[in-house]
Amino acid sequence: MADAAVARTEARPMPGEPSAWQQLKVNRNWLGFWFMVPAMAFLVLFLVYPLGKGLWMSFTDARIGREGRFVGLENFEWLSEDSDFIGALIFTIVFTFVASAVKFAIGLYLALLLNNNLPFKAFIRSVVLIPFIVPTVLSAVAFWWIFDTQFSVITWGLVKMGIIDRGSPINWMGDPFMAQCVVIFANIWRGIPFIAITLLAGLQTVSPSLYEAATLDGATRWQNFRYVTYPLLTPIIAVVMTFSVLFTFTDFQLIWAMTRGGPVNATHLMATLSYQRGILGGNLGEGAAIAISMVPFLLAAIMFSWFGLQRRKWQQGESND
Amino acid sequence: MTTSAGTDLKNPAASGAFSRSAAKDDHSEGMSYLESLPRKTVTVYIPLFIIVVVLLFPFYWMFITSIKPDQDLLDLHGGNPLWVSEPTFRHFYKLLFESNYPTWLWNTMFVAVCATFLSIVASVLAAYAITRIRYKGAQTVGGLIFLAYLVPPSILFIPLSTIIHVYGLFDTPFALILTYPTILIPFCTWLLMGYFKTIPYELEECALIDGASRWQILVKIIIPLAVPGLISAFIFAFTLCWNEFIYALTFISSNPNKTVPTAIVSEFVDGDVFRWGSLMAGALVGSLPLVILYAFFVEHYVSAMTGAVKE
Repeated sequence: MADAAVARTEARPMPGEPSAWQQLKVNRNWLGFWFMVPAMAFLVLFLVYPLGKGLWMSFTDARIGREGRFVGLENFEWLSEDSDFIGALIFTIVFTFVASAVKFAIGLYLALLLNNNLPFKAFIRSVVLIPFIVPTVLSAVAFWWIFDTQFSVITWGLVKMGIIDRGSPINWMGDPFMAQCVVIFANIWRGIPFIAITLLAGLQTVSPSLYEAATLDGATRWQNFRYVTYPLLTPIIAVVMTFSVLFTFTDFQLIWAMTRGGPVNATHLMATLSYQRGILGGNLGEGAAIAISMVPFLLAAIMFSWFGLQRRKWQQGESND
Repeated sequence: MTTSAGTDLKNPAASGAFSRSAAKDDHSEGMSYLESLPRKTVTVYIPLFIIVVVLLFPFYWMFITSIKPDQDLLDLHGGNPLWVSEPTFRHFYKLLFESNYPTWLWNTMFVAVCATFLSIVASVLAAYAITRIRYKGAQTVGGLIFLAYLVPPSILFIPLSTIIHVYGLFDTPFALILTYPTILIPFCTWLLMGYFKTIPYELEECALIDGASRWQILVKIIIPLAVPGLISAFIFAFTLCWNEFIYALTFISSNPNKTVPTAIVSEFVDGDVFRWGSLMAGALVGSLPLVILYAFFVEHYVSAMTGAVKE
């Protein structure tokens, strides 16, 4: 109704023939267009155009300072035989999968803990968010130092507890497998607050009387969680995890600040490998090809987490009618 | 049984006002009287304590490292590394007076403020047009803007770097000021759309009847009412700018033009000797502006984060 009223005021016939200039000022579609111009200009110039150009570059042999020639799928053929690329691809998938799963588990657990009646609740909540506020690179630098090969405080702690021997410290950043574990740990550390706080916001919209009712019906704590909390939280989990998977998969700064892909390329993600080949190595075409090969995985991840969880919601909604 | 429990219970939660008032009431005891203190200690306080300690330890370690004298840094087993016996501010002094750190801090601030400001202006206009002018195809455009939010910078930086070269922006702050909005506009627009939808239509109708133009409505009615949303968008966008790394690393090459995150990882490493004290002091000082801002606007920050997700 409100809409109709607005429309009527605008549809009021102009005295005489409305000039073209009047049309541009009053017509709903033109007005909308003028309001959209700044945002669209930014997005088209610096997002859509580079996206298209990136796709084009991945089919060329462009180098820094030289426009490339079209080479078809050559870049991708090269990459499919490149063991560094395959390694980065596998590690990116493992990295995303492990980090997202652990982040989700701990984040949800932390959200449930914070949803209790706690003293200083607001304060604890703000403190928990701090890892998310601090720029990733700066906390990555801290992790770099914490897991330093010679002067690691973790090694010191383990020695003090008598778990390892002082003479044979753990080579955190030098050993490929340990380095992979360390970067995954750092990513989890940074991701938990975001998931915990957004899920907490979801939890707070769940009415406590639901739990009271369920408890009266004899539900255990687990059943309370499984049949009350979880179904109500599903939509927000879907969105949060989509974002989390997306940002984990395309992570760059954490790896670059901590290991730069080393040791022996063990911790390269696709984004860091693309930077190394494209910008540092100067092979823009190849770098763009690596970046573009992330797209199918991203789409798959979005589809999976989005539709997978949406369908659950839809199924439950359908059984409701 | 299971589905019926799930769906039956869903209805009251969906009926807005009731559940919101119940959920907002944090002081209600609910069923918490069922929990005894010892039980709660084991199931809530101890795990919470452990998680919080793990989340905060790196900052403690950063702080301790930044005030330790150099010789203590490389001698773990001499004393207790978790404590400092003779704190020194030498690292901070070196950072602030013997390096380009203040310049980098200023660059970061300048870029972040400009990019945030541009993005908010563009987003307010776009969000208003999508939610209120509702031109033909507004829904589609809203969806496309959300999709733009899902395009990560790490697949754009290579083509963007060539574009930046062509526009002649390479190694200037404008390279960052103009590219950061692509990350911020989708987020801010989405957030502000949520805020604008909560402003009653009637206000706008009154203004239209009184002869106000769309522009006057936006400036005199909508924006003043959406101030909390604008603050949320501003703070979150500012944080994202401050945090941005890959564009800054790719588009800026000379030392005095760098931003804090890129400068920290490249300029504090002399060959193989890491100046850990200065590095940690730099990381700490670089995080400080955000933490201070955050401390004043926690609620806005949280609502920005959750608002963008909930939409």
